Amino acid sequence: MTAGSIGNLALIVCIILNIYLIFSLTTRVRKKNFKDLKKIKFINNSIFILLLVSFLTLIYCFVISDFANVAVYQNSHTTKPLLYKISGAWGNHEGSMVLFVLILSLFSFLFSNSKVNEELKIYTIFFQSILILIFLIFLIFTSNPFDQIDPKPLQGLGLTPILQDPLLVIHPPFLYFGYVGFSLIFSFALAGLVTNRFNSLWSKVSNFWILLPWSSLTIGIGLGSFWAYYELGWGGYWFWDPVENASLMPWLAATALLHSNIVTLKKDKLYSWTALLSIFTFVMSLLGTFLVRSGVLNSVHAFANDPYRGVYILSIILLITFFSLVIFIIKDPKKSSITNYSFFQRDNFILINNYFLIFFLSVVLVGTVYPIILEAVLGQSISVGPVYYNTILTPFLFVFLFFMAHGPLLNWNKDKNIKLKNIKIFLPISLILSSIIIFVFLDYKNIILFLALIFSIYLIVSVIFDWIFQKKLNLNLGRLFSHLGFGLLIFSIFINAYSSKEINSAMKVGDEVKTQGFIIKFQGINKIKKDNYEEIFGNFLVSKDNKQVQLTPSIRKYNQPVQFTSETSIKSNFITDYYFAINLSEFEKDKIMVRFYYKPFMLWIWFSVLLIAFGGIYQTFRARNEY
Amino acid sequence: MMFSKSAKNRLKFFILLLISASIIIFFIYNNLKKNTVYFYAPQEIKNLSGVPANKVRLGGLVKEGSLKKNNNTYIFVITDLKNEILVEYNGLLPNLFAEGKSAVVEGFLRDKKYFIASTILAKHDENYMPPEVANALKQKKSK
Repeated sequence: MTAGSIGNLALIVCIILNIYLIFSLTTRVRKKNFKDLKKIKFINNSIFILLLVSFLTLIYCFVISDFANVAVYQNSHTTKPLLYKISGAWGNHEGSMVLFVLILSLFSFLFSNSKVNEELKIYTIFFQSILILIFLIFLIFTSNPFDQIDPKPLQGLGLTPILQDPLLVIHPPFLYFGYVGFSLIFSFALAGLVTNRFNSLWSKVSNFWILLPWSSLTIGIGLGSFWAYYELGWGGYWFWDPVENASLMPWLAATALLHSNIVTLKKDKLYSWTALLSIFTFVMSLLGTFLVRSGVLNSVHAFANDPYRGVYILSIILLITFFSLVIFIIKDPKKSSITNYSFFQRDNFILINNYFLIFFLSVVLVGTVYPIILEAVLGQSISVGPVYYNTILTPFLFVFLFFMAHGPLLNWNKDKNIKLKNIKIFLPISLILSSIIIFVFLDYKNIILFLALIFSIYLIVSVIFDWIFQKKLNLNLGRLFSHLGFGLLIFSIFINAYSSKEINSAMKVGDEVKTQGFIIKFQGINKIKKDNYEEIFGNFLVSKDNKQVQLTPSIRKYNQPVQFTSETSIKSNFITDYYFAINLSEFEKDKIMVRFYYKPFMLWIWFSVLLIAFGGIYQTFRARNEY
Repeated sequence: MMFSKSAKNRLKFFILLLISASIIIFFIYNNLKKNTVYFYAPQEIKNLSGVPANKVRLGGLVKEGSLKKNNNTYIFVITDLKNEILVEYNGLLPNLFAEGKSAVVEGFLRDKKYFIASTILAKHDENYMPPEVANALKQKKSK
């Protein structure tokens, strides 16, 4: 019996157990028997363990290079380092779908072993196991990771070199843990609606299940962006590529959700909105899965190319959206009563920022989906450039920052005295600081950059102010971290966007280029031979105002499959990144194409993302400790 | 007209919602239109009624033997085997750019025979062909 057949068997047993689980849950619901969950838990736990076994078997197949397995044959090679053999298991369509189902089940497993009202628990596991069933069927019938080839090939086709990177080993698990993790809050919301238990207790429990995947997704997006920055060699870190948007959309929806849930918890209102967002967040995750997994995109990430898969996932999305909305409409949660209304209340500001987030989400959604629809309907191929996103989002982002700065400082209840008196403190500070930055440190003066600095510093100042005068610091630390991170992120993004520099040139060894205040010297070349690639390094010396930086970018020639990649060389001094990439041209064989980028505040962008995620993680476990 | 107070409020709210929604939709639509980059194969450009003023993408094969360098400007021909367009490009050629291989360039059409490219889109896989190019070539073969 081969390892592959064990994994396959585990999947099939899973599907049987899962159907059995759904039946036994249905009978329990009919009989209104919500006591003694031992058996349910046992089956649920077994499903998780079997999926884990199946996943581990797949990894094992990759490690021993079992080329009788199609997924291994197509994505692995014996000369590949062990780490990439392992990560090859989830670097392809089939393997990543196993991971998808595994995480669905992991969340069901964690949830069933947590302390929640039994009725809610039964219903949540019920909805979650339906999701697991749907995706298990998808996995086994359209993307089986244990398909065999006969006769067994002697060697595999290899993993795409740009995916051979330590970051890409951990990027997909984080991302999947995040956006598949939103399935639980989706199931939990449906359970709350069906049982009429959509109340503040629901809110309290759901806090954890929103924040946990949200933090993970934040890190996942950050890692992906960081990878694009140093691997693709174009100096950018966010390209508004549909695949990036696919992960951003659930993030935006979940960010709105986690805030509206706070209002639901504290003020006993916005039930419908929170329920709707819970559903919507997971639908966005599914949409992302569809975009990435169906191959409808003409982007670098489109590696799965099979129309059946796309049609199946699209039908799943429509089905799930339709039924969850039906449940939502029939079982609309209780209406909240509006009493004591005043504009200057914290919940109002949260609601306003929720609208903004939904607006941002719709902009991204339209920009991502419109080209696909246009191509499907009219056969026109188009692409939507970054300018679209930047011009629409920027002005609204500034207003968003303003509300974000004041929201947390307001009371939950009507308060006549407070209003926005802090403007008098924040505005002068942010005006002075941003003027100093733009007129003294940056030689580039641009009104949009100036506004961006004002508003982001405004937010940062307000968070610091909040931090200093905070009476319940340990309760609010998560928020302070995340909001500070967001302010810093916007600040860094704009400085980076407006004061980056780029130098392109074709150079020979010994050449020197002087431009934009930089001197670039091409000092030499050396070669290294590794197991699965050859690498040519260029040695460059970049000088600016008497400061010198040595950079050694390289070109790798992989042998399985034969492919060239450029490896960047980046040196950072906390404020600025010096970024170098080279490539060969078939046309001019004696020269090397050189790209140099001067990228201020890059490190701060990554740091801000970590701050945002850290806030989420802190609050996840903080929230847990409260009860 | 006899509306109750709450009905009037709802009406006001609804109108406000409608106005803000239409402004936002108009804004998004306008921006989308301005920033949409259309993709054409050389043959499609021949069939266009006018020369598009917006930025466009052109994709096809780089014709064998057509690549020339003049100072810092590259000149080459993009073809879909039905029509050819001369492309002028001022910048660095990416790793995978080669004669006989597929390429996508982005820029402006000066006229229907001459394209001024600002970017050559880099693809990461040697065997990768943009779906548009593959389609254009497939159509050619099937005819």
